[in-house]
Amino acid sequence: MSADEGGERAVDEATAGSGAAGAEAGRRRTPLQRMLGRLPTIAWLTLMWVILWGDPSPGTVVAGAGVATAGYAAAKLPHLPVGLRFRPLHVLLLVGHIVWDMFASSVQVSVHALWRPERMRGVIVEVPMRTDSDLLLAMVTGGLSLITGSLVIELNREEGVLYVHGTPIESERSVRQLRRQVRRTEKLFVWAFGTAADIEEFEREERREAEREARGAAEALPGAAEADDKEDPR
Amino acid sequence: MNVLDHVYTVTFVLLGMAVLLTLYRLVRGPSVMDRILCLNATSVLLISFVAVEVAVRGDSAYIGLVITFALLGFVGSLTAARFAERRAHDRG
Amino acid sequence: MTAADVVTAVTLPLGALFAFVGTVGLVRFPTLLGRVHAATKPDTVALILILVGAACQLPDVRVAALLALAALFQMLTVPVLAQTIGRVAYSRGEISEEHMVGDELAEALERGDRPEHRPGRLDEPT
Repeated sequence: MSADEGGERAVDEATAGSGAAGAEAGRRRTPLQRMLGRLPTIAWLTLMWVILWGDPSPGTVVAGAGVATAGYAAAKLPHLPVGLRFRPLHVLLLVGHIVWDMFASSVQVSVHALWRPERMRGVIVEVPMRTDSDLLLAMVTGGLSLITGSLVIELNREEGVLYVHGTPIESERSVRQLRRQVRRTEKLFVWAFGTAADIEEFEREERREAEREARGAAEALPGAAEADDKEDPR
Repeated sequence: MNVLDHVYTVTFVLLGMAVLLTLYRLVRGPSVMDRILCLNATSVLLISFVAVEVAVRGDSAYIGLVITFALLGFVGSLTAARFAERRAHDRG
Repeated sequence: MTAADVVTAVTLPLGALFAFVGTVGLVRFPTLLGRVHAATKPDTVALILILVGAACQLPDVRVAALLALAALFQMLTVPVLAQTIGRVAYSRGEISEEHMVGDELAEALERGDRPEHRPGRLDEPT
């Protein structure tokens, strides 16, 4: 239990550090802060050790913690400012969403495998991301690639744009659906794991997009919002 | 118990056919990426086989194998894919 | 037959069926990216179902935790592999245009964004 609390505190501190951007990263951390930053990793390694050993006795836990600490020290891993929060309710929502999508689209692709596979079409779409956190983007790409219908081909980090391959595609409607699914997955990940700053940024981006779209609609040109999306006037 | 025996038989037959199909694609190729994909699919099917075997015996002795296969298969396939990428860059 | 047996009787054949149909897709789909979809993800669903089914037959929670660990590793590793294969296949040009409705990455590359050759990427041999 105490290890857990320590982990929570360490995450908090790291978050505070990453909030002040790059200047904070160069600052020397005190030994205590360094210890706290290591705790979540060591706790996870110890847990794996205990599971693999199959015996949660105190001796195993202590030995596991010892091996994890020694391994951590020997590997000299770089310090990454981990800025994550954990919202249980949203995580549950996210897990449910991913599990459902995994099943539904697995069935969909299976049907295509049995019935006329040569007719199946795919598409690569460009989807602008609203979050700018490295960790969240990595999570989103991983989550998307886990779902059967979609596969991230490329990530343009500077502009925050994902290139997603989707299949099966039958019509314009399924292309729109794919875009919507990517955006929804992103939103779920941000709400489940993002810090308050991440969510704030996400909503700012969303408002900006809505404004842009409203302007596009005002010009009353079909597809103007789409074209605007791609140009990215920032 | 009798029903479960049939269940195990059906599972093994389906997995066996899946392995045969994977081997077919592995031999036919045509691309290196296809073969890497098949390698990974084979490792996943192997894990499934061992997991079913664990269920049949109700015995945990083989579970270490499941985890070892899972990680080795991943590292192997990933290394092969990265190597194929390197080769493509060198050529072109 | 206990409840655990019923779960096993449902999940094991269902998982094996997913694995089998996924492999059928691996053989039948005409494009490499389609085969990536068919080979990696129904397999993950299949493996999770089979691990759940196997866990129900085990007498001990500790052993079931090991199976859960295997499922977790699979869910962490499959996206990485699928993405790597997809990216490599794309950069090797092993995608067929005729089976694609559209390709906005190619359009972006033509515009000159060239996301795959920007400096600072660790894995790009120069």
